[in-house]
Amino acid sequence: MSSHAQAHTSAPDAGGAMPSYYEIMETAVRELLVEKKVIGAGEIRQMLEVMDTRTPALGSKIVARAWVDPEFRARLLANGRATLEELGIDFFEDTQLIVLENTDRVHNLIVCTLCSCYPREILGLPPDWYKMRPYRARAVKEPRAVLAEFGTVIPDNVEIRVSDSTAMIRYLVLPQRPPGTENFTEEQLASLVTRDAMIGVVKPNIPAAKEKSQ
Amino acid sequence: MNQTEDLIKHLSTELGGLEAGPIQGVEHDYAPWEKRCHALANVLDIHKIVNTEEKRRGIASLGSELVGKLTYYERWIVSFANILFQKQILTPEELARKMREVEARHPTAAASGA
Repeated sequence: MSSHAQAHTSAPDAGGAMPSYYEIMETAVRELLVEKKVIGAGEIRQMLEVMDTRTPALGSKIVARAWVDPEFRARLLANGRATLEELGIDFFEDTQLIVLENTDRVHNLIVCTLCSCYPREILGLPPDWYKMRPYRARAVKEPRAVLAEFGTVIPDNVEIRVSDSTAMIRYLVLPQRPPGTENFTEEQLASLVTRDAMIGVVKPNIPAAKEKSQ
Repeated sequence: MNQTEDLIKHLSTELGGLEAGPIQGVEHDYAPWEKRCHALANVLDIHKIVNTEEKRRGIASLGSELVGKLTYYERWIVSFANILFQKQILTPEELARKMREVEARHPTAAASGA
């Protein structure tokens, strides 16, 4: 065993060729669970493939559909998880999904102060800033200041509601459909909806060639 | 208020409302092992072995020093190992042995697949 050649460095970022102590631990845990038949041999790989299909593009499609289909929107707001499961979107965890609708009077923002709960089933893995201290600490205390750092200014007469995610409940923001998009196709609408708009830190993109109406 | 009092009042992971600096607009591409770690979390949840609340509690129980020093998925895998020990699905000895075995497969800087 030439194990002494292995440096036990913990790569803070995407590691180089040498696996870190923790990467070795991940491999070891996974292999032991498969050997003991606690999980199936191909399950992790299959899950990785499923996870690769969960990107903000999926969330954008759902938002665009809610904009054009009032009946779908009503069902989505009434029961987010059941409505998405009808579309074949499986949930990995025993969590509910609550869709929060932005209006002229309410702007929603989501956070997880305890950890990093996030609507992964439809947005994929969260951005680093969502998991880091400044956003988690401040979003619940001074949301307007946090939004301003994302370049988003919400008028004072619009209430900001911050929803703190838990192990059991996840949120998705349904942004307002931008003005000037009356003739847009569902696909064109989806292209305006960014991940950050579904977290609530920005508004959807305003279509090109249209002036921001405010 | 002294420092230990603050540690009692807030779990190491409980950040809501605390003082903090500006939002850092940072993002990184997940490393393959980080994604595998996440996939493992999902699979363990689907099999009803480790749920999200257990995972969150497992990370909080690492204590503030480790929570502060480990990266996100380093915290996860250490927490999973602890939970699997507690549930007697794995033993520390088995994990140590398997880690030595995995390590020995990478005697040099050969990158693992994927």
